[in-house]
Amino acid sequence: MLTHTTSDGYAPLPVTLFHDDFDQGLQGWTGLIGNYEDSLDSLLPEYRDLRPPMLSNSPAWDTGSSGSLHGTYAMKLATRPQAGSLAVGIKRLTYRQACPVQLETYFTFKPEANELRLGEMDTHSFGILFDLQNADRRVMPHLHYLNAVEGVHCGRWQFKRAPPQFHDIGHTGKTVSHFHLNTAGWEDLPDGRQLLCYNEIATKQNWHYLRVGLDLNSMRLTALQCNDRIFDVSGAEPMTMPAMANLWCMLNVAFWIRAGTPRRSFLLIDSVLLSADLD
Amino acid sequence: MRQSHTAVIERNTSWSGRIETEPYEAGWASEAMFFVRILEPRTGSAPVSLAVQISPDGIHWCNEGTVLPLDTAAALSWCRVSQFGTWLRLAGRLPRDMSLKVMVYIQLKA
Repeated sequence: MLTHTTSDGYAPLPVTLFHDDFDQGLQGWTGLIGNYEDSLDSLLPEYRDLRPPMLSNSPAWDTGSSGSLHGTYAMKLATRPQAGSLAVGIKRLTYRQACPVQLETYFTFKPEANELRLGEMDTHSFGILFDLQNADRRVMPHLHYLNAVEGVHCGRWQFKRAPPQFHDIGHTGKTVSHFHLNTAGWEDLPDGRQLLCYNEIATKQNWHYLRVGLDLNSMRLTALQCNDRIFDVSGAEPMTMPAMANLWCMLNVAFWIRAGTPRRSFLLIDSVLLSADLD
Repeated sequence: MRQSHTAVIERNTSWSGRIETEPYEAGWASEAMFFVRILEPRTGSAPVSLAVQISPDGIHWCNEGTVLPLDTAAALSWCRVSQFGTWLRLAGRLPRDMSLKVMVYIQLKA
C-alpha cells in the first residue's frame, strides 16, 4: 500500500527503514569481501578484488561535475579497467518483522569517458541483490540488467535461482564461502527487455528510477519497476539454501556493476529508500 | 560533526614494477592520509617513493608534490595531503627485484 511520496519522488511503504542520500556520506554502504580464515589468501579468487564505493559528484572531463539527482554527491561503484572486474556496495541490517519491504533508488551507469566514443557496450551488467535469512532458509534474490556481452547489446533484466556452490575455507570447518555474482545461471525475466536512456556521448548521464518489492514472509520478489516498465517477477525464484549459523534475520542489500571490456564501468546511486509495511 | 571515511583501495594486492592505485574520488574531503601496509612474504628491500597524484577528471594525472616514502622493511608507511581537489591516487615504480603484497588505505576527513 503506497501512502505518500517523498520530496525526492519516492513512493515508500508506510515505515521507512532507511533513506540514504549520499550528500550525507556513504551512510553505512561499504565494500564487500568474502569469508576467510587466518589469511586473505583463503578468500575465493572472485572475492579478492571487489572494488569499494566512493562518493562522487560525477566529474566529466568536458563539462565538469554533474552532481547527483538530488544534490551534489552519489555513491559511485567503479570497476577496474578489466573485463569482468566487479565493484560492489553493500549495506547490512536485520529485520524486525517478516513483512513486505520495498527498495527504491535512482541510478545511472556509464563507462569511464577516457575514450572519445560512446562505449555503450562496455558495461556488462549492473544489479541489485538481497541476502536474507529466517529460521529455516538463507535466500538471496538477485536481479541484474544485462547490458552487453562481448560487444553485443542485450538490454534485458534477469534473475538467478541456481544455488551457488559452497567451498570450505580454512581448516577449522567453521567457514564456508560461495560466490554468487558470477555470470553463470542467469535467466531472463518474461518480457524483460528494456532500453535505458544511455544518452549520446560518454559524459552525458541520465538518472533512472528503480523499485524492487520483496516479501520477507515468502522470501520472494514481488515487484520490479524500472522507469515506465513493471516486470513480472512471479517466476523469479531466488537462490535458496539451508539456514546458516549467525545470520538470523539478516537483511542485506547490495548493488554491483561488472565491466565488460578493459574500461572502467561506473554505477552511480543518487539515494536509496528501503521501506516496510509493518503490522 | 565532520564526515570521515576509510576506504581500502588495495587489498592483499601483489605489487611489482609500475604501480598506479585505482582513482578515488574525494571532493568532499579536505584532508587525506594514505597508508600502505606491507604483508608477508616480501621480496627485496630498498627505499621506494610513491607519488601522490591528483587529477581534474580521473583520467589525466600529475604529481601533487607529496611523496609517500615506502619503508619496505617496516609494516606500515604513510603520508598526508590536503587541498587536492577531487581525485587521488598513488603512483610509482618498484625496483626490478622487488615484489610486495600490500593493503592500501585512504582515510578522508571533511
